[in-house]
Amino acid sequence: MTAPIPTSKRKYDLNFARWVRDNVAGGDKMNMCMQCGTCSGSCPIGTEMEDGPRKLFMMIRAGMKEEVLSSNSMWECTSCYRCVVRCPRGVPVTYLMQGLAALAAKEGYAPKVENNYFSKFFWMSASKLGKTDERLVPTAYYFSFGFVEGIKRSLANLKIALNMFKAGRMHIGMPHKIRDTKGLQAILAKAREIEDRS
Amino acid sequence: MSEETFEHKPGAYLCGGCGIKDALDMDALEQAVSGGMMVSNVKQSDSFCSGEGYETIKKDIESGEVNQAIIAGCSPRVMVQEFNALGGQIFRANLREQVIWQQPANHEDTQALATDNLRMATTQARKAEPPQAHWDGVTSLKLLVVGGGITGLKAAREASKTGAEVVIVEKTDKLGGWAAKWSKFIPETAPYREPQDNPVPALIKEVEEDDNITVMFNTIVERTEGGPGEFSCRLQTGSDTKWDVFGAVVLATGWRPYESEAQEKFGIGKTDGVITDIEMEEKLAAGELDGVKNIVFIIPGDTDRMVYSSGVSDKVAIKQAMQMVENDSDVMAYIIHEHFRSHGTAEEFYRSAQEKGIIFQRGEVKKIDSDRTVTVDDELLEQEIPMSGIDLVVISTGMVPNSTNIDLEPSEKNPETLCDDINPKAPIFTVNGEEVEDPDADIKSCREKAGEEPPLPGGPLLNLQYRQGPHVPILANGFADSHYICFPYETRRTGIYTAGPVRRAMTATEAMDDAMGATLKAIQAMREANEAKAVHPRAGDLSFPEFGLNICTKCRRCTVECPFGAIDEDPETDYPMINPTRCRRCGTCMGACPVSTISFKNYNPQQVSDMVSAGTEDCPPDKPRILVLACENDAYPAMDMAGIARREANPYMRVIPVRCLGSVTLLWVKTALEKGYDGIMLLGCKSGDDYQCHFVKGSGLAQERMGKVGETLQSMMMEEERVQVNEIAIADSERVTEILNTFGKQIEEIGLNPFKGF
Repeated sequence: MTAPIPTSKRKYDLNFARWVRDNVAGGDKMNMCMQCGTCSGSCPIGTEMEDGPRKLFMMIRAGMKEEVLSSNSMWECTSCYRCVVRCPRGVPVTYLMQGLAALAAKEGYAPKVENNYFSKFFWMSASKLGKTDERLVPTAYYFSFGFVEGIKRSLANLKIALNMFKAGRMHIGMPHKIRDTKGLQAILAKAREIEDRS
Repeated sequence: MSEETFEHKPGAYLCGGCGIKDALDMDALEQAVSGGMMVSNVKQSDSFCSGEGYETIKKDIESGEVNQAIIAGCSPRVMVQEFNALGGQIFRANLREQVIWQQPANHEDTQALATDNLRMATTQARKAEPPQAHWDGVTSLKLLVVGGGITGLKAAREASKTGAEVVIVEKTDKLGGWAAKWSKFIPETAPYREPQDNPVPALIKEVEEDDNITVMFNTIVERTEGGPGEFSCRLQTGSDTKWDVFGAVVLATGWRPYESEAQEKFGIGKTDGVITDIEMEEKLAAGELDGVKNIVFIIPGDTDRMVYSSGVSDKVAIKQAMQMVENDSDVMAYIIHEHFRSHGTAEEFYRSAQEKGIIFQRGEVKKIDSDRTVTVDDELLEQEIPMSGIDLVVISTGMVPNSTNIDLEPSEKNPETLCDDINPKAPIFTVNGEEVEDPDADIKSCREKAGEEPPLPGGPLLNLQYRQGPHVPILANGFADSHYICFPYETRRTGIYTAGPVRRAMTATEAMDDAMGATLKAIQAMREANEAKAVHPRAGDLSFPEFGLNICTKCRRCTVECPFGAIDEDPETDYPMINPTRCRRCGTCMGACPVSTISFKNYNPQQVSDMVSAGTEDCPPDKPRILVLACENDAYPAMDMAGIARREANPYMRVIPVRCLGSVTLLWVKTALEKGYDGIMLLGCKSGDDYQCHFVKGSGLAQERMGKVGETLQSMMMEEERVQVNEIAIADSERVTEILNTFGKQIEEIGLNPFKGF
């Protein structure tokens, strides 16, 4: 991702479509979209999205940079790939969603959605331990909404937690981790290097 | 015309093949034929279409024993060439498709139907004489091509390849027309993904080198007389005129750009950098587009323009956008459309454009500012989008047909429209006996668009000397006449074939295909005229209408209603007078004649009237009979196909194929009611602007005429529903059975004809 994103402060920017085409993974295929709406119709969480994938693509074409990058749509995507499987024009919708989310994060468009917090702690645990800890991630996620909200959410899920203890899915003590966390760090560092290079 | 009397020597050949003898009592049929039908020469075989059976008929005809062979077996639509090769007159009784394949075997009603079909065929033979050519002179085989654009050039070349002599008449001083100006063509060969090279320069060269082709520049056709094989045209070059005789005419006068008020709102010609797609094409050819980085193509969705675009401007936009992107990969091309039409192989072209990064946006353009900011009401985003920073805006236009010569003063008489002779107020009856709501919607629109108001600009292209006026007839929106659905090049002026954008908006490559089709039709017309034969769809028919002038009332219905302008009034006596080469033998004049005095040697009012009687001769008083007069072109084959599909049909129908529903005279309906038929169904083709009637107006005229039967029926204290007209397409085999069976039930409910048995 070398080319800088169009910086114009205009609400509509024709160059945005070209930029997405050249710089977002799967962006070149976005042109093939014929606005049939199969993706949005197939999306299991389409109702949660401000704009479905179909509309999002049309917004990109219309050059609505601000609205695209501040949309919650790509953050709601659960990567179920139903849209990719069903798209009659072979548009890799899921990749585009991920690419747009990454772009929005990089450009500092604060996502408004809760699952961004979740992603944050999920990534924290996964990148440090090589595993997600069932106590750490939810607790950090709950308390990111504030202390009272954290207590409320934790209590609401207490029964599930107790059952997980009984079933051996949670434990007391230090979090489990993979044997070679150093190796994991090296892998991630390399990945970051490759991403910056391209 | 030979006046000697014709001696009828009929022979009946009862074929038992294809399962006929298992389903019918053939000996009883033979007895009926030799007895009541008085045909003494009756033979049976298991196969008359080949082998020994075929030889039997051949021998009988060659020996002179038989000159009218009545073959009872398969449908008259099959084995046509085989039986026609026998010589003599052939009559067919359909025992296979419409009897044994649609009725239960060995049933009393089935046998009765077969007997009646045979009786109708023998009656037909008794009242028929072999047609004779109306003259034997040799006519012109030279082709006139009007218009030297891509269509005209292609037409001339194709005709020349068949050995015909061709004259191209071109209004301007050079060949090639619009298409010569295009830098690239829309692809018409696989894989349909890239613009193709312009073939016009090569085509011009071919025409210039062709010895069979004469090109006349700065020339128009000032007057045209006669008919196919003998069109005499006065060609005017400047102040010089020259007479020449042609066999047929290909009308390839092309188009002119569409201009409308709607386009004006976008500021064409006022705002810098806002141009039409035609100007864009010129710029592309001249290579004047450096520095254009953001380009927007607008395809407006106004219906008026869409009529004249027909998907062509959509393809043109793709092509131009693609040319721009290919010249410079930095170019960003947007196509804004309300309705995008890229049918057929253009879908591949559209896909290819998407892959190349051209962006398609659906919405209505609200305004274009002076800095070329285009504001689009995007239908998919449901908001107005201002697109700024655009270097060039291209607006799609359309192709207005040159169905008149706009350089000339308008003539007194407007071009003839489809509805001119058909009363638009005539009710049309459906299978349920209900009047269709606004049955003349199409007819009205064409009358408004082309007829009384407002007149088409310009004078006639050929200045035809026809009683219907000097123009080539037109359809809605001013497009030149064309049998749009089935025979696109046919017009109502026999021997004059329209090709290219004069009959509908089309791409240059489509126009070349069109030219080939029309040329082949024109050559067929010249050659058939040369042998005194009819052209399509009754190709090869020698019969022609004859007028019994002793009882003619000079009512002029035949001269007015002939769809082809084949009948004129004799300037001295005012009696009808035929132009035989213009005639297509449909019999619309026969159906029009109130005194039934127009007849063909092998098809006439008395003959069919007798056939109608024959169909109910043996009818028991308690059984219904339904007369079906079916158009031989579409409805009759559809009924045959219902037989092939073994769809069970009403056994009380008696079907008579007619040349065209337009040839049905009220005499037949009257006879049918008198002879005790309980219902009459007329099956014809689709009428209106999108007509499928092979003779253009026949079906519409029949509907109008039958609309008046209702009153007659009421005066006879009979139900109006007993006579119905329906439109059938050739593929409607399922529907036709349904319609007829529903009609049968309806008649049963109404009850039998009170005149039955009188």
